[in-house]
Amino acid sequence: MRRGQLFGGIAALAIATVVFILPFLFVFLNAAKSPSEASQPSFAWPSEWQFWQNLVDVVQVRDYALLLAYFNSIVITVGAIALLVIFAAMVGYVLQRRPSRVSRVVGFVALTGLMIPPAVVPTIWLLQEIGLFKTLHGMVLIQVAYGLSFCILLFRAFVASIPRDLDEAAIVDGATPLQVFFRVILPLLKPVTLTVIVVQSITIFNDFTHPLYYLPGSENITVQLTLYNFQSQFTSQLNLLFMNILLITIPPLLVFIFFNRQIVSGMTSGAVKG
Amino acid sequence: MTQVSLHDLRKSFGAHEVIKGVDLDIADGEFCVFVGPSGCGKSTLLRMIAGLEGVTSGTVDIGGQDVTHAEPSKRGIAMVFQSYALYPHLTVRENIGFGLSLARKPKAEIAQEVEKVADILQLGPLLDRKPKALSGGQRQRVAIGRAIVRNPGVFLFDEPLSNLDASLRGQMRIELTDLHARLGATMIYVTHDQVEAMTMADKIVVLNAGRIEQVGTPMDLYEKPATPFVAGFIGSPKMNLFEGRVAEQQGCDVYGIRPEHLTVSDDEGRWKGTVRHVERLGADTILHVEAEDIGTFLARIEGHRSYRPGAVVYATPDPAREFRYTSR
Repeated sequence: MRRGQLFGGIAALAIATVVFILPFLFVFLNAAKSPSEASQPSFAWPSEWQFWQNLVDVVQVRDYALLLAYFNSIVITVGAIALLVIFAAMVGYVLQRRPSRVSRVVGFVALTGLMIPPAVVPTIWLLQEIGLFKTLHGMVLIQVAYGLSFCILLFRAFVASIPRDLDEAAIVDGATPLQVFFRVILPLLKPVTLTVIVVQSITIFNDFTHPLYYLPGSENITVQLTLYNFQSQFTSQLNLLFMNILLITIPPLLVFIFFNRQIVSGMTSGAVKG
Repeated sequence: MTQVSLHDLRKSFGAHEVIKGVDLDIADGEFCVFVGPSGCGKSTLLRMIAGLEGVTSGTVDIGGQDVTHAEPSKRGIAMVFQSYALYPHLTVRENIGFGLSLARKPKAEIAQEVEKVADILQLGPLLDRKPKALSGGQRQRVAIGRAIVRNPGVFLFDEPLSNLDASLRGQMRIELTDLHARLGATMIYVTHDQVEAMTMADKIVVLNAGRIEQVGTPMDLYEKPATPFVAGFIGSPKMNLFEGRVAEQQGCDVYGIRPEHLTVSDDEGRWKGTVRHVERLGADTILHVEAEDIGTFLARIEGHRSYRPGAVVYATPDPAREFRYTSR
């Protein structure tokens, strides 16, 4: 039995290494190669390490487009996450706490957001009409719209686990509905809020297609689009492409590593009775 | 003056009426206990007084003012919940001071008030802990502290002791009674435990199926229960209630006699029966007796007298303590 467990553990680690570590290693190795070497990507060790030189080249390309892209992507991600957390938590709270005909309709509308695939052309048309096409805040709203349904469902399920007595105790203590939400409920939503932040920030930061549709223009470039522009212009310079991949993989990785512990510690708090 | 008056209070959930017209006056400084079986509407009635549940018809007056449609925080009440409802993310200090901080009181004043309450309830050393680091009794004290700090005219307790173990419950009963004497505030207390009702109340309100069965002092209800329901509910062990032939022989529909008002003898008495179970409580012993002609009844005897299951005994009711109920 113990030998079986050992064998199973080694097998699992081996598979995880192949799936998660090897691709990263592949990118890392090829990002350090010279253009000619990288034109045929392989696991071969670079004959000459050009890591720093490639990094500088990638950052400088197209008048520091990568730095602008970082700025744009961070603005979009932070803005969208802030709105998502506030709105999804509020809607989820009201939907769970006040069952009525209106909240049932709203709940259904939220669900349709998951069921009905978004149509790109009408959305662009609408954005143009209200003057939000090709703007960062327009992109923020698009990301909020795409993520809201899922987040509402998450928050609503979590609010159900918070005893209603807490709301009532706060009401008796003199809290207005907004104070009940912001001072009692929202702090208790921390675990699910962290989940939403991690899942949605990685999704939004890594989003390639939506910025491609809704955010054209070189001044609006986002990190994932740097790959696309890159490839069309420097098809022979795969080393820079790999370096670019490496650079834009780091922020989501940091988010996950940083918040992962918080999620686990957050999950164990919040008990009311014992 | 914070007396509480309810006039023809009713509450329906859809077509289902749960409170069916309650009239009640609770005097200033009184300790009033709502007691009844689960589902009788006692918690709903309390929540209507608190303003957490809407009123279908009727009025609620607190301190001479009609508060039927007032916000809970504007009624001069404080409530202690069965689950304690402490805010898990706040320390004990912040929990107690929460209401004051909502009212935007100066920080120094909040700190002073919280210290004062912590002194009353001996919570001083716990002030910087979170609720999850407290025992059940300590949590209950914090919940009471959060009520006291608001300095309400009326305290509302919704089964506050039912999550505590038996010995702690006994201790908290004494503490609550002391607290009532010390604060002199009106208190309304909901419980399904008639022992809590008997030991703490100035006035007991027995509720059954959304109606008041009887209102009175604990001893009133024990000595003069107005209905068979009250007779069966108040007192432990329960009163023996007989219907059918036994009651007919007594010229009534329901005949009742308490276990402690039966004289048990080995050789003579009105009812002859066989002992089925013996519960020894130390000071007293409860006999479960099965009699051929009347069925099973309980009798309470002194602890030092011992019977074995199967023994034949005779029981005679005390004529002055018999209850006869006739339905109209």
